[in-house]
Amino acid sequence: MAELKFTQQQEMLRKAVREFVEKDVKPVAARLDVESRFPMDIFVKMGKLGFAGVFVPPQYGGAGLGMTERAIILEELGRHAAGLAMALMTHHLGVDAVLSYGTEEQKKKYLPDLASGRKISGLAVTEPTGGSDVAGQLATAVRDNGNWVINGRKCFITNSSNAEVNVITARTGEDAKGRPAFSAFIVENAVEGFSPGREEDKVGLRGSSTGDLLMNGCKVGDASLLGGEGNGMKMALSLFTKIGRTGMAAIGLGIIRACLEDGVKFARERVLYGKPLSKLQAIQFEIARIRIDYEAARLLTYNAVGLKEGGAGADAEIAAAKYFATEGAVRAAKRTMDLMGGYGVINEYPVGRYMRDALTTISCGGTSHIMQIIVAGQTLN
Amino acid sequence: MTGVAKAAGRKYAIWIVAEQAGGKLAPVSLEILGQALRMAREAGACDVAAVLAGKDAGGLAEELALSGADKVFLADDPRLSPYQNDTHGAVLTRLIAREDPDVVLFGASACGEELAPTVAARLDTGLGAHCTDLDLSAGGLLRMGVLGFGGRVHTEMFCPAKRPQMASVKPGMFPPAPRGERKGTVVREDVASLLEGERIRLRAVKIVREEPEGVPLEGAEVVVAGGFGIGGKEPWTLLEELARELSGAVGCTRPALDEGWTSGDHTMIGTSGRTVRPKVYLGFGISGSPHHTVGIKDAGVIVSVNSDPRAPAFDSSDYCVVSDFRRIVPALIREIRKVKGDGLRDP
Amino acid sequence: MSGFHIVVLVKPVPDPGWYDRVEIDPATGALARQGMPSVLNPSDRHALEEALALQERFGGRVTLVSMTPESSAETLREALAMGGDEAVVLSDRAFGGSDSLATSRVLAAGIAKVAPFDLVLAGNESADGGTVHVPSQVGELLGVAHLVNVIRLEVDADGSVRARTRIENGYVEVEGALPMVLGVRREINTPRYTSLMGVIASQGKPIRVLGAEDLGVDRSGVGMEGSNMRPGKLSRPGYRRKGERVKGDPEETVARIVGILRAEGVLG
Repeated sequence: MAELKFTQQQEMLRKAVREFVEKDVKPVAARLDVESRFPMDIFVKMGKLGFAGVFVPPQYGGAGLGMTERAIILEELGRHAAGLAMALMTHHLGVDAVLSYGTEEQKKKYLPDLASGRKISGLAVTEPTGGSDVAGQLATAVRDNGNWVINGRKCFITNSSNAEVNVITARTGEDAKGRPAFSAFIVENAVEGFSPGREEDKVGLRGSSTGDLLMNGCKVGDASLLGGEGNGMKMALSLFTKIGRTGMAAIGLGIIRACLEDGVKFARERVLYGKPLSKLQAIQFEIARIRIDYEAARLLTYNAVGLKEGGAGADAEIAAAKYFATEGAVRAAKRTMDLMGGYGVINEYPVGRYMRDALTTISCGGTSHIMQIIVAGQTLN
Repeated sequence: MTGVAKAAGRKYAIWIVAEQAGGKLAPVSLEILGQALRMAREAGACDVAAVLAGKDAGGLAEELALSGADKVFLADDPRLSPYQNDTHGAVLTRLIAREDPDVVLFGASACGEELAPTVAARLDTGLGAHCTDLDLSAGGLLRMGVLGFGGRVHTEMFCPAKRPQMASVKPGMFPPAPRGERKGTVVREDVASLLEGERIRLRAVKIVREEPEGVPLEGAEVVVAGGFGIGGKEPWTLLEELARELSGAVGCTRPALDEGWTSGDHTMIGTSGRTVRPKVYLGFGISGSPHHTVGIKDAGVIVSVNSDPRAPAFDSSDYCVVSDFRRIVPALIREIRKVKGDGLRDP
Repeated sequence: MSGFHIVVLVKPVPDPGWYDRVEIDPATGALARQGMPSVLNPSDRHALEEALALQERFGGRVTLVSMTPESSAETLREALAMGGDEAVVLSDRAFGGSDSLATSRVLAAGIAKVAPFDLVLAGNESADGGTVHVPSQVGELLGVAHLVNVIRLEVDADGSVRARTRIENGYVEVEGALPMVLGVRREINTPRYTSLMGVIASQGKPIRVLGAEDLGVDRSGVGMEGSNMRPGKLSRPGYRRKGERVKGDPEETVARIVGILRAEGVLG
């Protein structure tokens, strides 16, 4: 029975990513949160370092690594700037949509820019009718003289204001059983009739833009159809599992680590009753619980990622990891905030941001309720 | 110092290598001369000589001779200005080989910290780097104190076998030699013969001097210093204002310098930066790592303000204020203004 | 012109972030460095960056050379992840305890082993020792021109060099020609981050280990035997002062400080 062990290359990679994050991202993380600003300049730098195309093969301009390396990057980023991690995470959704389902022409056309971070991507499925109710999408795409005309409105879409290459699902007909069938399209933001809508003012994960996408008679060519007609639902669900939930788990893990490291530092330095807080058992218990959540989330996340990379379906494992890591982040943030006392509720310290980011991760990539439904479904069937 | 009398019957000799900078003697030159004289006085039966290489440096050689040097070896030649490690290295190496001093001290200025190892390599002798303390044993062995690990570890270094024993000395560590009445001998050297056969491969083309902003740290009576705890460029301006009110100099720690809050690395106080001896040092948001503390150890009165009650800075301070600097500095500025303004009206 | 062969001298050092945890073992009087992680000497990254920039411009090779215990050889791989074609580790029991001149002899022998070279770049000083001796002494031993405190470097394809070196309150422009040994200050450039692609590439780059035999060094010139300098006692410098707590609210504190300023004669 082997322990969870990273390769030497993965350790080196983590160190290199951590160095970048600590030097370039950590100093501006608080400001990005206050200003609710997506830092394009940092994203470009991340692109040059290979983060944007981490799992894209080198022939398309990527680093040619895998999902484990991706999770490492998202964990390290999430440790200091979960909002920015969210933006990268979402970008990967669009990247994999093209990589896994695109034709050779589509891959050659879009992947180099997406892998290098020159262009940003996103996946737009959710609508006002509900994100959890994927089948309830109302956006339509209708054939018209060799083109498709898309109408509809997507909401709660991350990277809405920044993505130049959007992957959008819309209803294109009905399946054999008369149920709605969906297809995916690559829609560049310059296309007439397409525009990002209003941006939301979020409680957390504020380093990424989240908002509406509006399609008003948006006309795209047949070459924009991605993955074949009628496969949109299957594609979206697959991407949510493989890319979305694994990414959210890694980000949640990063937040737990942030709470652990900051909590430990505070407990060691803060003196109360003449000795450091860390001498008090009540505080020790809090730290222990955060640590236990961290270890468990770490194992769940990397094991789920490893399973998926090995070819297993891993739906339940991935859902469990997402559920545990994000809920664990909320627990960890509350514990750290509480043990910091008055300091925990002062914005000069990042723990308030960790809490808000953690709370926001619950509804990203599938809510905790949906995660439980997935695990239960797999367990009971 | 009977133990020091050389077998060759020559008197023990301590040399200092002086530096000409912008037409004047570099301050560190008089500092190492001062320390050489102190060591010689304590040891007894010991000569102190200075070596100066430069151009039109006769007046500076006189200054050295009037500051306590028994002898000044002057290499005065246009080829020796600007300083280059090959020309000065050749001159110094040949003089040392000829005269065989026991100790040679360099100031660890930018030039000195290059010249000293160059000469040490040519002579195959030992060199202590950026020494913070020096003394001479009865037997003529030089004890060199050097700091490592960011100022946290002090190591004694010796050059037991080879001669001369060489050391470069951190500027600001020793008080300078005072000007006196007695004048030593100035010996003008034949530079051509000292340079003969040396391949000069460098060409120092131009020296550009940039006058730094603000009151210089050297000689400032008040130093207002800030560390990482200041947190940003904007709050840093509070310290600059405070320094202005007190006609003082602004200093910083390495972390604050790395953040880019100050006007340049000439403001950094510490092991790898400046050493200051103000009458009053006010430190804000400084944790007190040994790297910085060694730079202020000879300050008159040290007042430290830090919000962390366990900051190591407090152990090396005379007065400790546990507070966020933002609560103190603006009020302090106001009070100082009042004192200066009311000065005339006080009954 | 097929580009230059640039040698970059690098050194793994104890992580400067851990320096305030350095202890002196009371029993042996020696440094207790157990568990301190090793990193690439910060200044060396700047030297490597300068070398990589020249390689991008002119082509050629970049070789990392380091005198370090074989156990630290993997830290060299981190440097290779940033850039460079291969690393040569000079490691031998005989090298232990070397002062800067003895170290320079070993490095010079290592450089001679990978010669011919056009340029040797090094960080000005190492974070733990900080002597600034090595670049000058390596230059002297190799018999080539050398400079330290370099803050700007211009090299032409014909090998002519214009370097700017920092002096107190200013700088000096110096001209020379390759081959040279240059010690660079951190302000010379901003080192590139290590990319994922660099990490992958580093796995395949060779790291050679050479000992005293391979280098053919005279053992009397290296290690403790070859060192002119000998260390003595280690201690923790203490600069203790009275540490009097100033109590009271900000107003009282400010009044106290003003009192001190007046008493010392620097105010009013």
